[in-house]
Amino acid sequence: MTGWIILLVILAILGTGAAIGWSYLSKEHDEARNLPLDKVNFSRLKDGTYTGSYEGGMYKWRANKVQVTVVSGKVTDIKLQSPINGDTEPKKKDLLYGRVIEAQSLQVDAISGATLDSKAYLQAVENALKQAEK
Amino acid sequence: MVKIKLAQSENFGMGTVITNRVFGEMAEEALQAALQETSRLERLLSRFIRDSDISRINVCAGTGCQGIGSETCELLLRSLEFSERCNGSFDVTIGPLAALWSGARESSEPPCEAEIADALPLVGYRDLALDPREGTAALGRSGQSIDLGGIGKGYAADKVLDIYRKFGIGSAFTNFGGNVAVIGVKPDGSPWRIGIRHPRSENGLIGVITTDGRSVVTSGDYQRYFIGVDGKRYHHILDPKTGYPAESGLVSVTVVADSSVAADALSTALFVAGMEQGVDFLDSYPGTEAVFVGRDLSVHVTGGLRGSFQPNKGIEVNWMR
Repeated sequence: MTGWIILLVILAILGTGAAIGWSYLSKEHDEARNLPLDKVNFSRLKDGTYTGSYEGGMYKWRANKVQVTVVSGKVTDIKLQSPINGDTEPKKKDLLYGRVIEAQSLQVDAISGATLDSKAYLQAVENALKQAEK
Repeated sequence: MVKIKLAQSENFGMGTVITNRVFGEMAEEALQAALQETSRLERLLSRFIRDSDISRINVCAGTGCQGIGSETCELLLRSLEFSERCNGSFDVTIGPLAALWSGARESSEPPCEAEIADALPLVGYRDLALDPREGTAALGRSGQSIDLGGIGKGYAADKVLDIYRKFGIGSAFTNFGGNVAVIGVKPDGSPWRIGIRHPRSENGLIGVITTDGRSVVTSGDYQRYFIGVDGKRYHHILDPKTGYPAESGLVSVTVVADSSVAADALSTALFVAGMEQGVDFLDSYPGTEAVFVGRDLSVHVTGGLRGSFQPNKGIEVNWMR
């Protein structure tokens, strides 16, 4: 009988611990998931080399540091200076950073094209209004 | 330190969408003056406005000369010069054909051969008589008419930039439905980045041209066109020699030039004449460069754009000269 009580107490303690642990864990995950990435105006970058770091959430599990190079107003290189603890695949980041470089590379101020017909614009407005009527 | 002010606008004018972005202490005043100038120029130059200089010349074709404003005279003189140097590939007396094809766009049916045969002989820039001293213009034969669709926006863009300069603006762009002209560089010191629309993918770009003062204008077959029942694409850039939409093997031509009026007229002329002859035309205008897109979507760029043309991913560039 005493053995059963001891076992139940141990299980209860373990359970509470896990619940408490899980709640902290999920808070940390939520934070990572909802990390706001404010839009960077890629058309207004000044040349230079910049270091950026992220302190990595509640427990600094995701702390990392990068170096970004801007030449002629464009991001030309992103280097990982200190990877996230325990990250065994830092190579994957190259792919990710490549996408950033690619995405900003064609940011434009204006587009030159065959003379735009204003009727086409007005047609689009009309089509939109038609939908609004439904 | 003086804070740089920004003024911008987007509105309809000259049959298209006009956008302006102006940086400087007098940005707002400059923009307002530019918008007024744009509508004043449209009232002078549009063949769709009844009392415009151009409408009056057109109505009196074959009967006598009309007094015109100095800007109209200046623009018509420039037009004749482009016609002459570009072997008639550019011609502002395209009016009768332009009217015929704009009617065709409404019905999505090309004009019949007889109609084109009637209109074609009326096209001829040599029939436009100008007297800059008297400020008069006349078209020689009844039924002739002027249409400035291939040059008017470029001219207006130059005039807009003139106004910005008068207000001390050192950084601005104006975009007349794809006809882009800029002053200086952006306030952060980097050059303006002008995308060139991909002729077959609405949201795609062929590449980007960086510019710190030159104008970028594109002519292509992908706006103001209709697909006929024969499945053929009938676009709006007409060959003054055939009376039909130009078929020179190109789907888009972008011209980079110091003046927007030159970029505008030359992009039309090059589109009509094709790549080989087009390069010759460019030679008579030092400092002008071009990006040609062929029917097979191959991209050919003149050498002067090395360093300022950046192709989009997957676009292979054939450098010329």
